[in-house]
Amino acid sequence: MDLTMAAANPENTPQNNRAIMAFLRHHAPFSSMDDSHLAHFAEHATLSFYADGDVVLSPDDGMVQRFYVVKQGLIRGERLNKETGQVEPTFEICPGECFPLAALVGERPTRTLHRSAGDTFCLSIDHDAFVTLFSESDPFRDFCLRGVSSLLDQVNKRIQSNAMASIGSSNSLDTPLDRFALRNPIVCTPDLPVRKAVAKMHENDVGSIIITDDSRQPKGIFTLRDLRTMVAEEKAPLNTPISQLMTPNPKSLPTTADAFEAAMLMAEHHFAHLVVVDEENRLAGVVSQSDLFSLQRVDLVNLARTIGTAPNLQALVSFRTDVSRLVDTMLAHGADSGQVVKIITTLNDITVRRVIELNLRQNDPGIPFTWLTFGSEGRQEQTLLTDQDNGILFETPEGMTPDDVREKLLPFARKLNDELAECGFTLCKGNIMASNPKLCLSEEEWDDWFQRFIESSTPQNIVYSSIFLDMRSIFGPEEPLKRLLNRVLERIRKNALFQKMLAANAFERKPPLTMFNNFRYLNDEKKHSLDLKRQGLAPFVEAVRVFALANGVEQANTLERMEELAKIGFFDAKDANAWQEAYSLIQAIRMRAHQEMLQNGEELTNYIDPDDLNPLDRRILRESFRQAQRLQQKLEVTYQL
Amino acid sequence: MFDYIKQWLAERRGTTLGNHDTDNLPEPKTAGDQPLSKCRLIVLDLETTGLNPQKDEVIAIGAVAIEANAIHLNDQFDLILRRPELDIRETVLIHGIGTEALADGHETEDALLHLLEWMNGDPILAYHSAFDQRFLEKTLKAELGYTTPHLWMDVAELMPAFFPKADIKGKGLDDWSELFGLEASERHHAAADALVTAELVLVALNQARKTKVNTLKELTDKLHYQRRLQNMKRLQ
Repeated sequence: MDLTMAAANPENTPQNNRAIMAFLRHHAPFSSMDDSHLAHFAEHATLSFYADGDVVLSPDDGMVQRFYVVKQGLIRGERLNKETGQVEPTFEICPGECFPLAALVGERPTRTLHRSAGDTFCLSIDHDAFVTLFSESDPFRDFCLRGVSSLLDQVNKRIQSNAMASIGSSNSLDTPLDRFALRNPIVCTPDLPVRKAVAKMHENDVGSIIITDDSRQPKGIFTLRDLRTMVAEEKAPLNTPISQLMTPNPKSLPTTADAFEAAMLMAEHHFAHLVVVDEENRLAGVVSQSDLFSLQRVDLVNLARTIGTAPNLQALVSFRTDVSRLVDTMLAHGADSGQVVKIITTLNDITVRRVIELNLRQNDPGIPFTWLTFGSEGRQEQTLLTDQDNGILFETPEGMTPDDVREKLLPFARKLNDELAECGFTLCKGNIMASNPKLCLSEEEWDDWFQRFIESSTPQNIVYSSIFLDMRSIFGPEEPLKRLLNRVLERIRKNALFQKMLAANAFERKPPLTMFNNFRYLNDEKKHSLDLKRQGLAPFVEAVRVFALANGVEQANTLERMEELAKIGFFDAKDANAWQEAYSLIQAIRMRAHQEMLQNGEELTNYIDPDDLNPLDRRILRESFRQAQRLQQKLEVTYQL
Repeated sequence: MFDYIKQWLAERRGTTLGNHDTDNLPEPKTAGDQPLSKCRLIVLDLETTGLNPQKDEVIAIGAVAIEANAIHLNDQFDLILRRPELDIRETVLIHGIGTEALADGHETEDALLHLLEWMNGDPILAYHSAFDQRFLEKTLKAELGYTTPHLWMDVAELMPAFFPKADIKGKGLDDWSELFGLEASERHHAAADALVTAELVLVALNQARKTKVNTLKELTDKLHYQRRLQNMKRLQ
């Protein structure tokens, strides 16, 4: 069969085949396939009907002979649990989705009973037609071999290209020069000997010096390149006045010009430095090539160092935009969502540390303490939208009571909380902050606190478990926290009731899917919005926390907890992998939404309308939520909920 | 390959190569003990110039075949007849087949012979089949002098026979389609309507299997019984 033939005359394609092709085009992987391949599918398609509960495909049918696409209705997979003897639902297949991929590619019977749920129509093609498509269509083959994860690649690619677009959209290059952190230029008078001018450049670690007159008008520029030429060509002795060696009347741009003009001018004249002047032609600053390009390639190490050595709060606040730009860059360079949240967390940690250091310099309360962080920051899962959840673990000095210590520490903590808020870490509405006397405790007090927390198991405590049981230290000695954490884990490991209550609480957080596998929206008021954090990520975070705490896993990070649970054999490696992938995807979609909100100047929220997503993202989101359901099933079985 | 191109060119021109064995057209089948799961069933829909078989004409034929309880897209019939002489001003708005398409259509005699061969004498189902039957039989007689009757079944009777309690607003194809969430890809396109009708037939056949209606005879009996039941209700 020559597939190009069928595509050559689309008018000759029967209406019904055209309709099938149009249907397929709405769904991946068909949406990326050539028309000739879709035509081949339609020509060889068979349409069958299954009433509610009919078996569509069974392990007893022998080697799988056909490839199916659900046209309408729903197919449910069932597997027998050998331990319980019960039939468990494994997956659901919705319109536009196909089955059974693994069995067909593996040329074996299916391991899952496929049953229709409600009136269902399926299109199918026989093995020969499948093989033809498999061998001729790259997207189809890719999908069959790699299943949903090949779709994940597509999503990641798109996230990358979106981020690329936002960088390339020159929202950096059309920045006016006066909005740059223009470096205060190093200047000198025309009569200064070259030797002294170079010494001045060396002291300030810059590559250029501007020669100005008394009214600060730029008269010339002298750069390291000029020095090189001067020495190599033995033009003049080092005590020559600089006015004789400078480049006179340097090219300059007004502060209102933008970065793009500056870059063009530099490229044109091979300048590495450009003088920026105000309306009265007075020197306003110097912009260098590396200044311009650092706009586009924010370097993590450099940014971290800059934040970590920021001289004051104002500087720290101004670096927050760099963090956002960095997230764009990271996404554009293909970092996955797990890496990006960790980078954000790292930079946040550095910011917090710097805020603490700057305050200690001004006003050290003189008491050794560990700065604790809880919740998403504790799990190292922060995105751009983040609020403060922190506390203090202090050492009580000889001769003082914990209350004495608190008297000294609380005002200090209050200032830290406020300054962190200025840096973009929203104040915690629930007052889970170090300035709260209940969360500024000694090691013994924290230990008591956790003991009560675990033993009393009140509903309120269970709710707070998502915050306090994910903790980490980011400043100060780590040993006290380590000791505390070990005792907490030990108590939880021994307390089956607490575990069960945690599990029951985690089980309450249902992924936002209805029985019919549609998205379950927040409420009537927000008819079409899903809360990606509460409805999407939380079911994973909560369930994984229960398993991690019950199995003595020390990590607070959800992905790391899953990794560890697989390592100790509590999770099946494949399951752990699928859950990590699903979790990362929801996170990626959430981060992309945040980047978009930021670009549109909107307030950051975790709400999205699935209708705004393209069909591929919608499907992946649904697939990810289904994985959350499977994880919850494990919770249900383990704790007999 | 040469044959393929010839065939293709012919189809482009709107004619099928006239190579029919008119003396040995397939014999229409009668309802017997053949299992429904082994039968090939034709589901057909005609587009006509109007509602009156005395004066109106068939302009398009769409049909699909059901075999082993499934519709096979490689076994379908989708033709516009070549009838440049017809007045289609009144109905062009419904079926969208304009004068130009009719002039380019397939030669009627050729198309009908092709249809008879393709149908292979298998039972024909249609929605309100009396309408399609009258038009098709009239056309076959007028164009080919062909009068051998086929076995016809009405999908409008088939559906209530298997779903007596269905909550539907009316008795039309659209009402049943809506009940099962079906939609014609293009309404009043013969082939698209035939496909939706065939989808309903699949639903009915599924129910037939579950109610032990297994042979063609059992199916036609069930329809006769259904018709008698309806007539009795009407008399009461």
